[in-house]
Amino acid sequence: MSIEGMMESVALDITSSTKTLFETMIMLDLQPDNAFFEDDTQIKTDVIGMVSFTGKYHGVIALFCSKRFALKVASTMLMTELTEFTNDVKDAVGEVSNMIAGNVKTKLTAQYGEMNLSIPIVIAGEGLSITAVNNHPVVADTTLSCFSKDPWLMSPFTSSGEKFNVGLLLKESSK
Amino acid sequence: MPKVLIIDDSAVMRKIIQRNIQQSGLLVDEFVEARDGREGLEKVTSNNIDLILCDWNMPNMTGIDFVKAIRGSGQKSNIPIVMVTTEGGEAKIEEAKNSGANGYLTKPFTPDQLKSKLGNFLLVK
Repeated sequence: MSIEGMMESVALDITSSTKTLFETMIMLDLQPDNAFFEDDTQIKTDVIGMVSFTGKYHGVIALFCSKRFALKVASTMLMTELTEFTNDVKDAVGEVSNMIAGNVKTKLTAQYGEMNLSIPIVIAGEGLSITAVNNHPVVADTTLSCFSKDPWLMSPFTSSGEKFNVGLLLKESSK
Repeated sequence: MPKVLIIDDSAVMRKIIQRNIQQSGLLVDEFVEARDGREGLEKVTSNNIDLILCDWNMPNMTGIDFVKAIRGSGQKSNIPIVMVTTEGGEAKIEEAKNSGANGYLTKPFTPDQLKSKLGNFLLVK
């Protein structure tokens, strides 16, 4: 299977994992849409929750969302109304990314052998953009710098009137 | 009544687990929290813990290394440990059980799934 074909298959796993997460621990409505490739220079977001994985294949699974949606998700998870972008909100975004990536990784492991997950990293700001440049890793201990010029495969979702994406970067590891 | 140690690097997840246990009717006297395996070992030493819930991927000391450390610790080596983690799949579950974990729950979980896993170790009201 080509890497693009494999990414499209993983996008289905991302959709199913995100649905499971929303049905069990977030309890917000969720409508998935069709996945699409997006150049990293086009990504504009407030919050990024990233988990990288290594193994026969390596890559990054990342949640891209607005601050408003991050607040809504954290409020639901903690069952309290949060209005400030506190560490609890970042923590919640990290856990959401972690649970989606963990579930996807389990499915990948069954097909392609053992993989290891990183601890989630959350970056928050206003209108953030993300660019991976050769030899300049965006995140320490990940392989982000390997993905220069490669587009993200975005799985888009709508929940409570808010749009968010779960992105995937994937590469076969060198032997 | 039992004292439960929750080890997870996410404060949000520790709160969710605690809230789910409290709402499930499982009898717990006190919750103790730790952010990683290393802090977990300190909390086990300084508290009389009856049940441990432990994440897998954490900084400083992973959950699996914590389980191995507890099982090799002598006096406290019999405390039941349930792994609560995003790490799924048969191989990981087998590894955890071979290392000495008594139960395994994959995140995300429903309150009923958590109650069912912990029902073997805690009494219900």
